[in-house]
Amino acid sequence: MSKHRRKANMKITGNQSASPAPALRQPVAPTSPDTPEPAAQTTHHLVHHYEVPDKPVVVIESSKAWVPVNLANLWSYRELLYFLVWRDIKVRYKQTMLGALWAILQPLVTMMIFTYFFGKLARIPTEGVPYPIFFYTGLLLWTYFSGAVVMGANSLLGNTNLITKVYFPRLIIPGAAVGAGLIDFAIASVLLIGLLLYYRFPVTWGYLMLLPLIVLTTLLALALAIWLAALNVRFRDVRYALPFLIQAWMFLSPIIYPSTLMPAQWRWVMILNPLTGIIEGFRAALLGKEFHWLALGYSTFVTALLLVYASYSFRRMEKHFAEII
Amino acid sequence: MKPIIKVQNLSKKFRITPGEQPGLQYDTLREAIAKAVKAPLRRWRGNHGEEGKDTLWALKDVSFEVLPGEVLGIIGPNGAGKSTLLSILSRIIEPTSGRAEIYGRVASLLEVGTGFHPDLSGRENVYLNGAVLGMKRREIEARFDEIVAFAEIERFIDTPVKRYSSGMYLRLAFVVAAHLDPEVLIVDEVLAVGDAGFQKKCLGKMDDVTRSGRTVLFVTHSVGMISQMCEHAILMKAGRVHMKGPAIEVVDYYNTMWNTLAEKRQA
Repeated sequence: MSKHRRKANMKITGNQSASPAPALRQPVAPTSPDTPEPAAQTTHHLVHHYEVPDKPVVVIESSKAWVPVNLANLWSYRELLYFLVWRDIKVRYKQTMLGALWAILQPLVTMMIFTYFFGKLARIPTEGVPYPIFFYTGLLLWTYFSGAVVMGANSLLGNTNLITKVYFPRLIIPGAAVGAGLIDFAIASVLLIGLLLYYRFPVTWGYLMLLPLIVLTTLLALALAIWLAALNVRFRDVRYALPFLIQAWMFLSPIIYPSTLMPAQWRWVMILNPLTGIIEGFRAALLGKEFHWLALGYSTFVTALLLVYASYSFRRMEKHFAEII
Repeated sequence: MKPIIKVQNLSKKFRITPGEQPGLQYDTLREAIAKAVKAPLRRWRGNHGEEGKDTLWALKDVSFEVLPGEVLGIIGPNGAGKSTLLSILSRIIEPTSGRAEIYGRVASLLEVGTGFHPDLSGRENVYLNGAVLGMKRREIEARFDEIVAFAEIERFIDTPVKRYSSGMYLRLAFVVAAHLDPEVLIVDEVLAVGDAGFQKKCLGKMDDVTRSGRTVLFVTHSVGMISQMCEHAILMKAGRVHMKGPAIEVVDYYNTMWNTLAEKRQA
């Protein structure tokens, strides 16, 4: 302690007498020791050796209305993305008894309810697929998708303290929310593997489509999450409208029923929902059925379009977040 | 020598009444729609709500330069624009006009414990907070023991921080920040944490930081801290740079300013 006091005192005397004590300074900064210090500098204790680069590292000015996403900048913040995903997961299951088991329990219990009511009682046709596996495949993807969209949409508001106090690309925040959903999805997938084994579904070439389908789901969720998150900062209406819209979307997607349940001439209406192609593609990949390539192509197209629009729209609003949140 | 921070005519305008900023500050969708309908009408009347009583220039034409290794203090009364200036230099808000260039990596410390999560343990929060402040995972790992020892919380490192005493919490938060290693450090009044003993330790740490050749921008109300830690200081008043010079002179001027103000009030 006395060491610090001595230093502090010395600093004061140094300032008052305006006489430098350069010998006591320890240059630690990135050095170029051969650059001689101009004598004038020592009058205010400058014995450092940071070589100022020619180009500024940071330029601050009022930006234009439409800015593209800076991918290099995002990439340099990948560790923060990792830590925020890790935080979301940790916090979600802190002080719970069952922990990550909740990620399985939610779709599992819903699947059991659906199997009883929509399967055993209502006898919804599922194209010969056993009810548990038909509902679980749909629910697994839907739980991931809807969770990622809802968490993502509320993510900026939930991180107000970060937004008003530190700089980093704000896209990281909804990105982390979607990433945390992906972890839950991975956990819940374990049960799917169990069901596939139990019902003896063979491994097929269709499995090759699983990864692209999961990526597509993630990108669609991400697009909606970043757009809604930015909108939510301005209009809190999003927070209230979203649960209702998400519920409606679930009934409009082929989770409880196959899209073939619609009369043939109306099936295209179902396919307008980009999730239809993805969910039925997911089932087709796992259960060895035919892919509906047109619907999948349409889903990919819509996802790409939404992603581009959402990221531009996010970037446009991003600069005002700290002021209006 | 070339400056490490160049600030040129930086200005920031705030709208005081929410909802008056075209296309920006509506609280509900309904208001936004109402505004969208009214907007052409307003334009036609030539009323843009631009200048006047609903706007405030928090910063107006602020220019200064900082040399590498310099420790610059920023003082001024409440509402002088100090925090707005730091927020802009930290890239949290954008300026309305003007430009600033920083020739080095920046770390900002606008509050202690940014991103701390109450449910996470001290250990987890050190990593999270370090990442938020821009440290790499390897850097945090390398300094972890030092951070914990400095904060004097070895025994509680795996306890959720919501069970910490406020002093322990602040100590841990400060220490993570004090172990940052950027070329430019922007600090907003965060040193007043912990008890007297720990404050002294913090001051010592800050002193090490300023001695290591780092450039520091430092906002505080504590005039004593400015004269103790800074070579130069800027006095801000009503969004403008009122005075800049050696810290001692600026502090003297600031003190006399307050004294004359107090005398006037008494008279």
